[in-house]
This record gives sequence, structure tokens and C-alpha cells, in this order.
Amino acid sequence: MTYTLGIDIGSGAVKSVLFRNDGNNHEWIAKRCERIRRRAPMDLAQQGYDELLDEAKLKSADIAYVATTGEGENVKFATGHFYSMTTHARGAIFLQPEARAVVDIGALNGRAISIDERGKVLSYKMTSQCASGSGQFLENIARYLGVAVEEIGPLSMSAANPEKVSSICAVLAETDVINMVSRGIATTDILKGIHISMASRLAKLLKVTGITQGKVLLTGGLALDVGLLAALREELVAEKMALLQAESHAESIYAGAIGAALWGAFRHDKLKQLAQAVNEAVPA
Amino acid sequence: MTVAPIIQRCEALFDDLHFNSVKEWKAREPGRKAVGFMPVYVPREIIHAAGMLPVGIMGGGDQLEVIQGDAYYQSYICRIPRSTLEMGLTGRLDCLDGMLFPSICDVIRNLSGMWQILFKDKYVRYIDVPQNYQDNVGGEFYIEEMQVLREGLGQLAGRPITDDDLRRSIAVYNENRRAVQELYRYRALKPWQALSYEVYLVLRAGMVLPPEEHTQLVRDYIAAVDTEKRPQRDNARIVVTGAFCEQPPLGLIKSIEMAGCYIVDDDFMLVLRWLLDDVPVTGDPLEELSKAFLHRSASTASKYDVKKEDKGQYLLHQVKSNGAEGVIFAAPSFCDPALLERPMLQDILAKQKVPYTAFKYAENTGQMAPIREQAGTFADSIKLWSAA
Repeated sequence: MTYTLGIDIGSGAVKSVLFRNDGNNHEWIAKRCERIRRRAPMDLAQQGYDELLDEAKLKSADIAYVATTGEGENVKFATGHFYSMTTHARGAIFLQPEARAVVDIGALNGRAISIDERGKVLSYKMTSQCASGSGQFLENIARYLGVAVEEIGPLSMSAANPEKVSSICAVLAETDVINMVSRGIATTDILKGIHISMASRLAKLLKVTGITQGKVLLTGGLALDVGLLAALREELVAEKMALLQAESHAESIYAGAIGAALWGAFRHDKLKQLAQAVNEAVPA
Repeated sequence: MTVAPIIQRCEALFDDLHFNSVKEWKAREPGRKAVGFMPVYVPREIIHAAGMLPVGIMGGGDQLEVIQGDAYYQSYICRIPRSTLEMGLTGRLDCLDGMLFPSICDVIRNLSGMWQILFKDKYVRYIDVPQNYQDNVGGEFYIEEMQVLREGLGQLAGRPITDDDLRRSIAVYNENRRAVQELYRYRALKPWQALSYEVYLVLRAGMVLPPEEHTQLVRDYIAAVDTEKRPQRDNARIVVTGAFCEQPPLGLIKSIEMAGCYIVDDDFMLVLRWLLDDVPVTGDPLEELSKAFLHRSASTASKYDVKKEDKGQYLLHQVKSNGAEGVIFAAPSFCDPALLERPMLQDILAKQKVPYTAFKYAENTGQMAPIREQAGTFADSIKLWSAA
């Protein structure tokens, strides 16, 4: 039995999870999610690590593998780092074993990943550096409109006449929103319009990965935005991809950290045999 | 001595595109001369035997703005000849009394011609290498090439280069190669201790320091780094190949490592370990240097392979003898030798089930995010999905 810890440093929050692993049985025993809010992500990673150990009454020496993902390459106490695609794919399979695609939409960018039943990435497509498909953009707009982040989804769901915004560039999209506000467009319609634009982009990313049917799990910071999920379902129908079933999970925000912890457990089991192979290849 | 001051010194040498250390070396004794050489390999023993300092000119890196150099080459030519010209035309290489251009590709051959026209007061020579590995054919040709170089440098030095001078220099470089090989072996065993960007800087110092001093520096680094306790990461062990001429920016080497790859072998500055073992210090020195080149030297895209089955064997040996799990093909944009050879090498690796990935760079590449992403996902694929 081993304990592994996964830390996902995103651009909006640091998520940490602790797992107890016994062969193929993985028990999730603790979690933390801390919004960055102008604090040092590395300090938050250390804080999350310490808190998880305290909660589980464990010591550092009890942790077989600390795996980072996201922007966590420089975490000093990490055993190894995995890339976000890899960890979100594995985390998605843990949360929803039937998932065959992941839409990871966080504060900075979004990506669609086609996966197999083991959590192996088969293909992926990412948004470019343009921020209009990102959570940060949505959060900024909510702030302009005087809406709390938690209200975005429900308000969007109650829209009657959504107004679409530019889906190409965050700057143009913000201009669109300012024009809508001055034209007296309802907040609900603006938010729904933004969701449609984002969902339209995500549906196109999914199409490029080549997946045509099966469950699609939303992960990342925006996974619990019910308005975005509803818009994505509508866009999948509009894009003739109705055989894809988009869904979310209450713990979707932890998918990256979960994947990191589980891959860490896998690597821990392999490391001894690798060390032996290296010693044989490179005599001291 | 600790690692930090050693690396600081190497970093200062690396950053100095005015070659002040070469100027200082020359100023220490009147009449001293320095001769520059480009990648991949020249017999530095001959320069050293003439009492001169061999200086490796590895391009202008990412800190040099190329303005004049761009006027001499088309935009679809790699960057090293343009940045080298820039350094020459802006007086940065005035401290060199000569310049050697080894046979790498047509571009560098043309550069040697340009140098002869532009810098008429300097000793300039194109170093041709054998395409035949029989001692009585390619060997004779190569000995003749080295003899011409020996006489030319002897004239520049104002004294002939004797066989004993050459033997002493061969011994000095044998020792330097041993030290460099020790460093590579140490890194292959403990890549978390000897970080690749540090190893690179230590090796790069050998391009401007006298070999005796560099040998000591390499050994000081190994001793110092071995006393530090550095965290061991679960990184994929990879070989970097294709970077034998135009050098990658230091940020690229750091990015590969940061992305989750330990570089356990590479082909940066191959001149330091081109010859695979000691050159005998007895016998005819040029003949021994020739035999070492023909029969016991490294392989790279700019070196002719006589037999088809020899292609890729050196790379495979690098992989197997260093316990590597994959190969990163990192070649400069527009590098004909590296990019033409790449598909052949990839085919050989695929047959041996060695995973690989490939990208291109220029010595002034600044945007590392795509390289980090690619190297990182490659490391993940090795760690999670390779058959090993």
C-alpha cells in the first residue's frame, strides 16, 4: 500500500489531493482547493501538501510519490511532473470510467482530449493563446456586469434571447459586451451569449480530435458552470455531434490533481526496476 | 570549491561574445596567438602544438543581434554562419589570428571562402575530412590535410611544429577527453546531480580555455557537484541528437530538463569527445591522429558513413550504453545534414522500438513554451506508455 499526492497548479487555483493506493484500488482520502488570488502558487502548493498530511495524520516520509501537473514543474519537493493533458485524461477516467473525451476548461485556456479506457491520450486540440475561450475572460466579464462567479451559470440558463459575442479574441469579445451593455441587453442574455461562443469553440475542438460518440467529461475550473455545460450540449447538437454526451462531475475541478496522484502511484511501482536497468546499462 | 562559483565562471565565459578571456590569455605573454574553429571537429592538437590557443566559435547565441551578417546569406540559411559573420564584421573576433572551417556543409564551406575575402590578414583554412576510411586512401589524404595545416600554423607561429610538440599536445587532449568522458559518465549515472545546463556550460568553457585548465575545471565540477545533495526527479532519460553544429540556446536545454527529461547523452560540442579513446603518444603523431579519426571517432550527420548498416549505430550505442529511454531530435532550422539524416535515424530507432520526438530551433529561439510542452508530453509518453 502506498500514499501518493497530486498537486495541480492552475492559473486560477492550486488543487491538491491525497490517495491511498493498493494495486488497482485507489482510495481518495483528502483534497484541497485554494484560489491563487495574487499569492505565490508555490507557497500554496506547500500549504496544500502540509494540510493534506496533517488531515491524514501522515509524515512526508509516508508519501511514496508527490506528482505535480499544470504549472507545477518547479515544485521543489515533487518526485515527478506530468503534463496537464496526461493527468486530466487519467483523472477523467477515475471520475467517470465511461468518459472517452475530456474538455478541460480552466482560467487560462481550454482543450479537448480524446482518450481510451486506460486514460491514454489519443489526440487533443487546444485553444490558442487568445483568451476568449478561458475562465479568466468569463470571470472578468462577470465582474464588469456586477455578477458573482457562482451566479453566472444559473443566470445564463434563464436567458431568453442570447446575444453571441466574438469568439476569436478576448479584446473584441469585451468590446462586444460593452456594446451590449450600452444597448441595454439583459445580463442573462449576455452571459448566455458568452457561454454559446465558448461552447461553440469547445465543440469545434472536440470535432478536431475525431471523437464522434461517448461520454465527454468537463474538467478544470469551469466544469461546474451549469450554463457552460448546457451551452456545450446545445452546440454539440448544432454541430451534428449529438452522440457525444457532455457531463460534469462534482469533483471535476480536481481531475488534474487526481490524475497526477494516480500516475504517481503507477510510476512508483516502476521506478525500482528502472533503476536496476540503468545500473546495468551504465556501470559505475 | 562549490558548484556555484564554477558555474558562474563558465556562465561569464559563455556570455562574453568579445572573447576577453582569449585576449587576456594572449596578453599574458607577448607573441601568443589564438586560432578559432567552428563545429564539428578539428584536430586541436595541431593548434596547441604550435603554442596557440584553439578557440571554439559556436555562433552568436541568443544575445547577439545579427544585422550585417544577414546581408551575406539568404533567409533560408541557418543562423550560425550569419551570427559568426556578425561577430567577425563587428570586430569581436579580432583577437583571433586564424580561423578554421571544418567540413560540415556547403554553407560553412562558403563561409570559409567569405572569410578569406573579408579577413585577408588572417590565416584561414577549410579543413576537409576523408570520405574513405582506409588508411592508405582516406588516411593518406587526411594526413596530407593535417600536414598542410601543420605547416600553415607553423608559419603563423614563426617556428615549425615538431613531432614532439604534437605528441605533448596529443597527451594534453587525451587527458581532456578523459575528463569530459568522466563527466558524461557521471551525468549518465546521476543526471539529477549534474544538470544538463551546468554540464553544457562547463563543456562550453572548453571552447575558450586552454585544455589543461579546462581539464581541471571539468574535474573540479564533478568533485563539487558530487558533494551537493540534489533532489532526484522521476524524469525520462533521453539522448539529444542533431545539435552538433549550431548550438541550442541555454534556455532550450533548461526547458527540456524542466519538462521532465534528463539528458543522459547529447552531441553538443562534439569536438570535445570526437575521438573515442586515447590517441597513442608514440609513433607518427599525424598518422595516429588520422587512425583515430578513421577508426575510433564519433559519428554525426556531417560525417560520411561508408556502409548503409553503419548509419545510426552511434546513436543506438548512445541510447543503450546510457540507459536512455528515448531520443529527442533537436536540430537547427535549415540544417541540411541533421534534417536530411533525421528520417534515416528515426527509421532505425523505430525498428529498435526506441521512442523519439523531433523539433527544430535556432540559436536565438526565445519562445520555449511549445518545446516544453512537446518535451513534457514526450516524457509522459515514455514514463506511462513505453513497453519498458
